[in-house]
Amino acid sequence: MFWNAIIIGLIGVICILDSRFLGRLNFERPLITCTLVGVALGNVPVGLAVGASVELMSLGIVNIGGAVPPDMCMAAIITSAYAILTSATTETALALAVPIAVLGQIIGVMGRTLLGMLTHVADRAIEEGNFSKARRVHILWGTIIYSLLYFIPIFLAIYAGTGVVEAIVAVIPVWLTSGLNLATKFLTAYGLALLLSTMLNKDLAVFFFLGFFTVGYLGLDITAIALFASILAFILSSLKFRNSTVGMSSGGAVTLAKDDYDPLEDD
Amino acid sequence: MSVDKKVSEFRRNWQFFWRSWAIQCSWNYERQMDMGFMYGIAPTLERLYPDETDPRQLQYKKEAYRRHMVFYNCTPQTSAFALGLAASMEEELAADRDNFNPDTINAVKTSLMGPLSGVGDSFFQGTIRVIAFGLGVSLAQRGSILGPVLAMLISFIPSWIVTWFAGKLGYTMGAKYLNKLQGGLMDRLMYICGIVGLMVVGGMVASMIGLTTPITFSATGLVLQDILDTIIPGLLSLCAAMGLYFLVRKQIKSTYLLLICIVGGIVFNALGILA
Repeated sequence: MFWNAIIIGLIGVICILDSRFLGRLNFERPLITCTLVGVALGNVPVGLAVGASVELMSLGIVNIGGAVPPDMCMAAIITSAYAILTSATTETALALAVPIAVLGQIIGVMGRTLLGMLTHVADRAIEEGNFSKARRVHILWGTIIYSLLYFIPIFLAIYAGTGVVEAIVAVIPVWLTSGLNLATKFLTAYGLALLLSTMLNKDLAVFFFLGFFTVGYLGLDITAIALFASILAFILSSLKFRNSTVGMSSGGAVTLAKDDYDPLEDD
Repeated sequence: MSVDKKVSEFRRNWQFFWRSWAIQCSWNYERQMDMGFMYGIAPTLERLYPDETDPRQLQYKKEAYRRHMVFYNCTPQTSAFALGLAASMEEELAADRDNFNPDTINAVKTSLMGPLSGVGDSFFQGTIRVIAFGLGVSLAQRGSILGPVLAMLISFIPSWIVTWFAGKLGYTMGAKYLNKLQGGLMDRLMYICGIVGLMVVGGMVASMIGLTTPITFSATGLVLQDILDTIIPGLLSLCAAMGLYFLVRKQIKSTYLLLICIVGGIVFNALGILA
């Protein structure tokens, strides 16, 4: 269990460094990290299944920069490890992992405060002319602190937690597991609702329903919807923006684009 | 005193590129990405003021480093534009110290933060991520390892292209280009992204929530779910998503909504209304 905990902890480090080091390339997303956990623990199908369902629930949660509880990225890693290492179902594993992620998030707040203090260390280093030290605060200390913020909670959750999870699963009643199963469907609906709240507006709402009914009645899959939607969007945008492209091709691109801006705002 | 050390164009771009990606390494509550930006512009400053034994150069260098330790926050990919622009302005300042007010550098940086983050976050987090992971999840649910692979590819390629060219354009073209982007081209891109994103989410509501009802009318042998499916497939899932959407719009705290989902799941399941 010790080595498993180390490996899962390191996957947690990949997860946090994705948004620190790689400009949020989406390695941090549950679908990716859970698959990695599945590969590491030798059970890819469970990793994929857990990743897909936690991804759906957290698709609407965007943590830009700050720490917004609960951290579903951390919860996803712990959930997939529990689902593989113990006899817990995805729903039970998730219900146990989310409180741990909330605790982890509190440590995350402390870490970001600590880095706020280290900013003054960098200030002082610049005053002293020690520029390489100032750069090190960012690239070295920042990286180490963020890595530990993820490694420690995940390591402890796996190393000390799997036995506890097994004990809880043994006594958990059926009505609770099937209730949690329904709850994850609500959580998926909530995740998509959160996403909609950032995307939906009066003009575009009709496209949401177009997507819904196309899949509902015609049974198309998401790949097909994405392709048809791209074609439709391209056609509609050439109609809608036809005037502005004509204006731009007749010369003076920058100023004319600005002149065209007002009629666009009116419709 | 122009650029003392020559540097290849590729190397300079590469520095904008990866230092923009790494801008959040020391994200903190006090000034957010202050050190990230300082780290990004450091190679430019090192090239401009290489001689630390010269007290004047050292003075300028300290001023420049200090200038870039102020509050900053921006989407990493689009932030490369601000970084490239700030680097070219630092070079102008070093070349012509008498006619260039150093305050304009931070003024431009600060004014770019808002529009660059707005465009960047809605493009990468709002659209690319939704399409990538909508497709990824639908493949993963069928047990295909292609799901996560495809999701990463769709996330990676636009991110790579935008960061690379944002840094390049910021450095060579400067602020002029942003006006052009904010005109027709950006509106058109956001319109396309909005349509594709919403249709994919609509499809996901229909296919991925999977809410059903176990209610049957024993007297007539009618199964309620069958009736619902013949009218509007996925109606219950749509109702749940729309209901939660209105609660989100009512600004109810996410903690309460999570609790509502969990307690609601246990209660509706126990009552035998939904499954």
